[in-house]
Amino acid sequence: MDSMEMNDLLLDLLHVPGLSGREDPVLRYLQEIWEPMVDELRVSPLGSLEGVVRGNAPQPRPKILFAAHMDAIGLMVTGYQGDFLRVTSVGGVDPRVLPGGIVTVHGEEDLPGVIDQLPKALLPDSAPKDSVEFKYLIVDLGLKEAELKDMVQIGDLVSFQQPPLMMGDNLIAGPALDNRASVAAITIMLTSLQTRDPAWDVWVVATSQEEENMSGALTSAYTLQPDLAVAVDVTFASAPGTPDHKSYPMGEEIPLGWGPSVHPGLYRAFEEAAEEEDISVNREPLPMRSGTDADVLQISAAGVPTMVLSIPLRYMHTPVEMVHKEDIRAVAKLSQALIDRLDANFLSTLEWEE
Amino acid sequence: MKSLLKSLVEIPAPPGHEKELRDFVREEIETMADEIRVDSMGNLIVRKGEVREGGKRIMIASHLDEIGLIATHIDKRGFIRFTNMGGVYPSYLLGGRVRFLDGTRGVIDVEGSGKRKKVPGLDKMYIDIGAENENQCSIDIGDVAVFDRPWLDLGKRVVSKALDDRVGVAVMVETLRKVHQSPKRTPHESWFVFSNQEEVGLRGAGPAAYQLEPDIGLAIDVTRTGDTPQGVKMDVSLGEGPAIKIRDKGMLSHPEVVDWMIDVARKHKISCQREVLERGTTDAASIQLTRGGVPSGCLSIPCRYVHSPSEMVDWDDVQQAAILLEKLLFEPFLGS
Repeated sequence: MDSMEMNDLLLDLLHVPGLSGREDPVLRYLQEIWEPMVDELRVSPLGSLEGVVRGNAPQPRPKILFAAHMDAIGLMVTGYQGDFLRVTSVGGVDPRVLPGGIVTVHGEEDLPGVIDQLPKALLPDSAPKDSVEFKYLIVDLGLKEAELKDMVQIGDLVSFQQPPLMMGDNLIAGPALDNRASVAAITIMLTSLQTRDPAWDVWVVATSQEEENMSGALTSAYTLQPDLAVAVDVTFASAPGTPDHKSYPMGEEIPLGWGPSVHPGLYRAFEEAAEEEDISVNREPLPMRSGTDADVLQISAAGVPTMVLSIPLRYMHTPVEMVHKEDIRAVAKLSQALIDRLDANFLSTLEWEE
Repeated sequence: MKSLLKSLVEIPAPPGHEKELRDFVREEIETMADEIRVDSMGNLIVRKGEVREGGKRIMIASHLDEIGLIATHIDKRGFIRFTNMGGVYPSYLLGGRVRFLDGTRGVIDVEGSGKRKKVPGLDKMYIDIGAENENQCSIDIGDVAVFDRPWLDLGKRVVSKALDDRVGVAVMVETLRKVHQSPKRTPHESWFVFSNQEEVGLRGAGPAAYQLEPDIGLAIDVTRTGDTPQGVKMDVSLGEGPAIKIRDKGMLSHPEVVDWMIDVARKHKISCQREVLERGTTDAASIQLTRGGVPSGCLSIPCRYVHSPSEMVDWDDVQQAAILLEKLLFEPFLGS
């Protein structure tokens, strides 16, 4: 995929909505893109998109699953407050960045709104003055109450109205890069897979509802029963003030997850593939749960050796998340490199040895 | 249905001790079932109907268990220390009465009785059953208790302990009765599951869903309201009709299930509320995650003072919920 095509893919992925539990628009977009590149494509009962490129190894042919969640964080209407709307978060939205933001309220039709907070002087004494909790935020659509109730219902979704920004040659910013950046990476991997002849079946899954309860990955893993699983997700990128031990530079190295939710044998296979292909990687300690689909993939059915690949991302869970395009390419390339190294004996050599 | 509900709330059934209540419900519905069994978790599972044109296999779950207390230590003077089974609020316990499964009653108070201003944690509380000393205390470590508070019929509204989720159980029994008595057959294969151990982590419904492999999951449970003085900001009120869950803390309802419920309610002119609950969840959350995933939703009965000894529901809401569930079972599911 050349850089123009990649830009288009990213811009498209950032334009289509798809909040957790309502992934339909992004699902339909990906169906169209993936359809010509896979041997089979289906939608799970909970709305994950599952595609497979069949391998050439004899049956029972092993399977690897690449999961990137396609759902995005956003807001949901919880009620009316006169002419205004109250909202709560879908996924872990950071309320500190919301005031002054422009949103789209997905009511009877898409409606523009702005998020505002009560003026400081009007907040109760008990309210914290330095950050704003959801209960003090309102969405103003400029409509009167009766009109509002006509157009918007409780439970309607609200998404950030922030067009994606291409910044310089390498960076892109916008809402939902967590985790559309990873969806782009596995899509690019799919394009490179077209000219290969993998031994294993390669399943790519755009999972639903990761930001809420990871139910998409959990249920797809149950259905597909992969032999290996890889969660592709974002991690914290370095920025002014971020601690070095908890953040990763953009555009330089791919953080490879390392911790209880990562199988050490599979980790080493990725590390070796990276070295042979000259892809720079570093180690991302994940001391407890990884906070990615890997947590549920790993313990599905009889257990699945699992890996976490990360794309560094600045300003996580805000409308202006930012990633480096080279990192997306590198993740795609590394994933392809691992697939190239999967042969009939791979599983028999895999051991949990730290 | 009111006398049924009164009988249901008066049978104690803390998590893991649902047998007496399960036997009562079984007795009530045995003759209406096409198939009835109790699984290894203690879920009571009933089939009604089979899949016909436009039909689905639907699992409907309400939980038998209620929150309770369990004795952890008996001191020399016969005071019983305890901990919670499920979400027990300390503030609802002080001055309250409890009943152990053997019928022993006791009152709850706190260390430094009469001096405290703030509500302490459960570890500072004890149950006094009037025993003169340790040897006179009939309660053993591990014995379990529930709130002891009489049923109160306020006319349009009723108050009781354990309305969470006996009101769901009552709605399901009533619905099963109506389906059974109807000359028409439903298009669906309906599995009525009276689940166990919901209050300690939604533990019964998941294994039941695993056995039944339903196309759709539906929980019938209570939800909170925002209609009390200085209450939480929530647009669900008593008396405005049953609520259709859009989401709660544990689950995003499946959009097609939500649409089905709303469409059927609208068609039959049953007024409903849209529910976005920011704390708590129901059996539907564990049904949804079963096997390859089950599109799920929840029909909620608005309830004030959830997990207190005096939960309150509106009788019209309860009746409308039963009507809506019945209508749902007779209407095709138009989702995929």
